[in-house]
Amino acid sequence: MPGISSSLYNIFLRRNTVMLGTVFAAAFGLQLAFDAGSDRIWDAINKGRQWKDIKHRYVEAPEEE
Amino acid sequence: MPALTTTTRALARTWTAHQLPAARACTAAVQQTRSVSEVSSTSSFDSPFKGSGSSTKIPSFAAYRNKSGGETGPKVFSYFMVGTMGALSALGAKATVQDFLVNMSASADVLAQAKVEIDLAAIPEGKNVIIKWRGKPVFIRHRTEDEIKEAEDTKWESLRDPEPDSERVKKPEWLIMLGVCTHLGCVPIGEAGDFGGWFCPCHGSHYDISGRIRKGPAPLNLEVPAYEFPEDGKVIIG
Amino acid sequence: MLARSALRTARSAGAAARNATSRTATRPASTSSSTAEEAASAWKTTALGSGATVFAVGSVAWYYHLYGRNVDAMTPAEEGLHPTQYPWEHQKWFKTFDHQALRRGFLVYREVCASCHSLSRIPYRSLVGNIMTVDEAKALAEENEYDTEPNDVGDIEKRPGKLSDYLPAPYKNDEAARAANNGALPPDLSLITKARHGGCDYIFSLLTGYPEEPPAGAVVPEGLNFNPYFPGTGIAMARVLYDDLVEYEDGTKATSSQMAKDVVEFLNWSAEPEMDERKKMGWKVLAVTSVLFALSVWVKRYKWAPIKTRKIVYSPPKQKSILDQLPKPDKKS
Repeated sequence: MPGISSSLYNIFLRRNTVMLGTVFAAAFGLQLAFDAGSDRIWDAINKGRQWKDIKHRYVEAPEEE
Repeated sequence: MPALTTTTRALARTWTAHQLPAARACTAAVQQTRSVSEVSSTSSFDSPFKGSGSSTKIPSFAAYRNKSGGETGPKVFSYFMVGTMGALSALGAKATVQDFLVNMSASADVLAQAKVEIDLAAIPEGKNVIIKWRGKPVFIRHRTEDEIKEAEDTKWESLRDPEPDSERVKKPEWLIMLGVCTHLGCVPIGEAGDFGGWFCPCHGSHYDISGRIRKGPAPLNLEVPAYEFPEDGKVIIG
Repeated sequence: MLARSALRTARSAGAAARNATSRTATRPASTSSSTAEEAASAWKTTALGSGATVFAVGSVAWYYHLYGRNVDAMTPAEEGLHPTQYPWEHQKWFKTFDHQALRRGFLVYREVCASCHSLSRIPYRSLVGNIMTVDEAKALAEENEYDTEPNDVGDIEKRPGKLSDYLPAPYKNDEAARAANNGALPPDLSLITKARHGGCDYIFSLLTGYPEEPPAGAVVPEGLNFNPYFPGTGIAMARVLYDDLVEYEDGTKATSSQMAKDVVEFLNWSAEPEMDERKKMGWKVLAVTSVLFALSVWVKRYKWAPIKTRKIVYSPPKQKSILDQLPKPDKKS
């Protein structure tokens, strides 16, 4: 455990610029992950209620005819 | 009135009677020292400021110290917490700024009208059509063979705003451009002027059949909007 | 310091101060012994206090009596029956609109409501992606004609509708609408769930609340209909929703309450088309800010820890009295 934490420290936190870069990179990744995750939860809660859940009934129909 | 004064006096008297022991405690020397000794003997926290100099006992914070030993672990943890807070704040700041910027962009009803679809089959050869697009007039000219030849043969290198005809049209027979004079924004008149193109009546700018400025005060050629031909006989401007 | 200086002043004040305090201490004891005066003043104290209390309470009560209460211009019957509170699924904090219901509700609006009520704030483009596909919305738009911009000679022509056009109104203007409806103006329904007390509950109750015939004793003016939920009970709109009035494409049975429920949800959508996105964004903001708050509390404690646990120790240097350095003549003498 100390080995991991000290190597983490040396890689990401030792220099201020590197830490700043890490923070912004993390913010970017966090945003993607958070948006994707919250969308998934939201769609799971509202399953079958949103337009994208019922769209296929109306988009595919003209193609079959 | 006398009744009121007597009652207030009585009230004041009872009040002083209650307050007196405390007042005495403040002034009387013996009681002062006694109260200090009481505090120092009963209190669980030994303040160095009360009593005599002998009670300067420094409180210990050892119980709060990190027990794991070594400073890297706690350091990484606290940097992680601070960094995460920074990252989340950056997210929030970005979202806020983005919202304000998006707020400044065109609204949905404007965007819905931003594209105009025009049926070209209705425009005969050698005719101008003016349509409204985003509140501005757009000239659509179905050019004849002669006009195309004339526009392409012009020595464009020596013009004020040098531009070949091929850069101004996607299909040579269709010339599509904004009908706003580049001088002061008047709407030029079609099939007029010295060069067989457009003529601005406000200050006398002459444009040729490719919409290039040839004579007069205007500095630039007539602007060409973004457009595309999705299928034959149709153009979408915007 | 303070204690020590207090000690010093007290000591220097000496017996005089002690005398003074003891004198004030003894005085109330002596007065309390004179019982006659005490009894009289106690009675007066009680009377004054109670009198003041009664006066204060009374004046507040009088003021409330005058100005504090609601003044109702109408009787409860005239204000309309309070609508039942229904458990609308789409109004829950974490639920979107049921877009299938919106589609059904739009059908009800088009086939029933649209003959009198406009929905002028809804363009066809906003139906796309919520209720209809692009092709359906385009086809619907082209069913109606709209004015063009003035042409070369200044005439205004007609053109088929586009996605950027708004839903057409049944009447040209308010006057035409009044003339066609015995002087009553059918309100625009774009924001109706926001514009009426009770919102969805009210509109649902109104649509389904028409009795078979007005109750005995109710006075219904000529040309009006009785509806207990409508303020004043006399409403110009007659009952419109009957079972199987429309045919739903998804096979839902078109009972009148089903149609009312669907159209109410659709009208709520037209008033708040941003609701789905708003709720989702709200939850996201709450999640981020709560984590951010917890982190900031931690960071505050982290930053303050060295300040709060700081020890400041003062060990005074050994002081030599200046008197020690003087030659001491006493010793010899």
